[in-house]
Amino acid sequence: MNRHIVDVDSVRERASATPADLRENHRQESRGARARFEAANAASSAARPDSHLVGLRDEQLWFARAVMTPEVAPAAVTDDEATGVLTSGPRLCAMDRLEIYRRSYHARLVECLADDYSVLKHALGETQFEALCRAYIACHPSEGPNLNYFGRKLEGFCRDEAPPPFALRDFAADLASLEWAIVDVIHAPSSDPLTLEGLRDVPLEAWSAARLVPNSAFRLLCFESPVNGYFQAVRDGTQPPIPSPRRSATVVYRSGATVWRMDLTAPMFEVLSALAAGESLATSLSKAAASFGPIDEQEAAQRVLGWFRDWVGSGLFGRVEVR
Amino acid sequence: MANRFGLPDLGVGLGLRTVHYARILEARPDVDWFEIISENYMQTAGRPLHYLDAIADRYPIAMHGVSLSIGSSDPLDRAYLAELRSLRDRTGALWVSDHLCWTGVAGKNTHDLLPMPYSEEALDHVVERVRAVQDFLGAPLALENPSTYVEFAGKAMREWEFLARLAEEADCALLLDVNNVFVSAYNHGFDPDTYFAAIPFDRVVQLHVAGHTHHGTHIIDTHVGPVKDDVWRLLGGAWRRTGGASVLLEWDAEIPGFDETHAEALRAREFIRRAD
Repeated sequence: MNRHIVDVDSVRERASATPADLRENHRQESRGARARFEAANAASSAARPDSHLVGLRDEQLWFARAVMTPEVAPAAVTDDEATGVLTSGPRLCAMDRLEIYRRSYHARLVECLADDYSVLKHALGETQFEALCRAYIACHPSEGPNLNYFGRKLEGFCRDEAPPPFALRDFAADLASLEWAIVDVIHAPSSDPLTLEGLRDVPLEAWSAARLVPNSAFRLLCFESPVNGYFQAVRDGTQPPIPSPRRSATVVYRSGATVWRMDLTAPMFEVLSALAAGESLATSLSKAAASFGPIDEQEAAQRVLGWFRDWVGSGLFGRVEVR
Repeated sequence: MANRFGLPDLGVGLGLRTVHYARILEARPDVDWFEIISENYMQTAGRPLHYLDAIADRYPIAMHGVSLSIGSSDPLDRAYLAELRSLRDRTGALWVSDHLCWTGVAGKNTHDLLPMPYSEEALDHVVERVRAVQDFLGAPLALENPSTYVEFAGKAMREWEFLARLAEEADCALLLDVNNVFVSAYNHGFDPDTYFAAIPFDRVVQLHVAGHTHHGTHIIDTHVGPVKDDVWRLLGGAWRRTGGASVLLEWDAEIPGFDETHAEALRAREFIRRAD
């Protein structure tokens, strides 16, 4: 069975540092800084503009507007405004000092999305991925204290909101869905896994009505493209082409510290969908039977037995409920 | 215990980072203590806590936050505080710290440590909020001086005066980041000794060091690379003034292997000895 582990450090943490990616950006920006500094000093030596802001709230609203304005847009505040509200430093004018925060704001959030969507970044290439992130940041600024969930709307953004032209829209949305499922199960509570020993406690006659309840850190996904295969190929260090559309299904789940991804055949997907919806084992298996194709009952039973042995062995189920 | 809060000098610790989890859990290295970024273990019920529980069982822990937004003019986020307290209780963290800054306003969060205007109004506002947080946590909050790249014009105080008055009026602890003092001193043109002279060192319970990136016109607090010798020397002087405070290395990008990161942190001992 084609099952893969996601690396332990695939989701990096947040920190209080200014993003390191900003460094090159700063080198470029610093080149004209001296001229701007001297010009600003000459202007302000005549008369320093007064700050038009009254009180802390006003100051913070003004500062946030300046910082959160997209870098592709003109600055939200004028040089005169910046000089009225902020001091020049020993080597940078007020506006250049303020711009450090604007660059830092966007770089931090782009970096956060790149952590969560590293394979999407690979698929789109750095330039298109960064443009996508910047559009996302402008549409969906963070409203919570935690960056862990900042990227949760990227799949929907790729599918419905990202500005055209966006050639890989559907593939990007599917890939974002897979990568977000990985983040999601990392943070979801995980139940103690049901073990093969635990199954032995269930009386034989109870099995047809029994419910196998998936682990709570479990996401069942279906796609228009084989994105899990693409994800794995990128993780393996190859340079796979973007695959042609072909329906696929993948389950992502966590058992203990290990996050698993597994491609599913149509019958597997049918069984797991039914179990996840709360159907009994017998009903779930009968729903899957239709998608088996022309094989005899004994062969089907052998296949199903193999799946369940593997699924239970890797902690896909949390418990069995016997009615 | 040199500080007025009776908080212990834990020695030289490291910021806990996911790339080091496996090494820490397998080799159980001899590290004095770890500092965690609080938010990395909040709004999660999953794997981050799985690792944290195992590490907190074996090492002393302190919590360091980036989203308290103590200076914001938005209301305090009570749900955030409740989760912060719950994480503190879960890990047995010896203290909780965050930054003298604001991270957002009007419901939006920039996730950056934005600079405060050092006005009387802002001081009153932050003092009241620090008291409220301390009441909620039932423990002193340690506030860290951030690296800053701008200063507001026409304000009553410089950062060191604001921090000193805040600490006294709110009766809070301080986390003195000597790299941030160095960075801000360069960016704003002040002398770090002027800063240190104003700080009530009996309130300093922890010291931070980190690498930074110099751009000629300004310095950015990137937490990349080894700590610069000028910063180590500041650490030695600050540690001596505390009479003994816990020291912590932050390394947040291009993070080397655990042993190299730990060896860098342990350089603190050399500079502390020299300053004695």
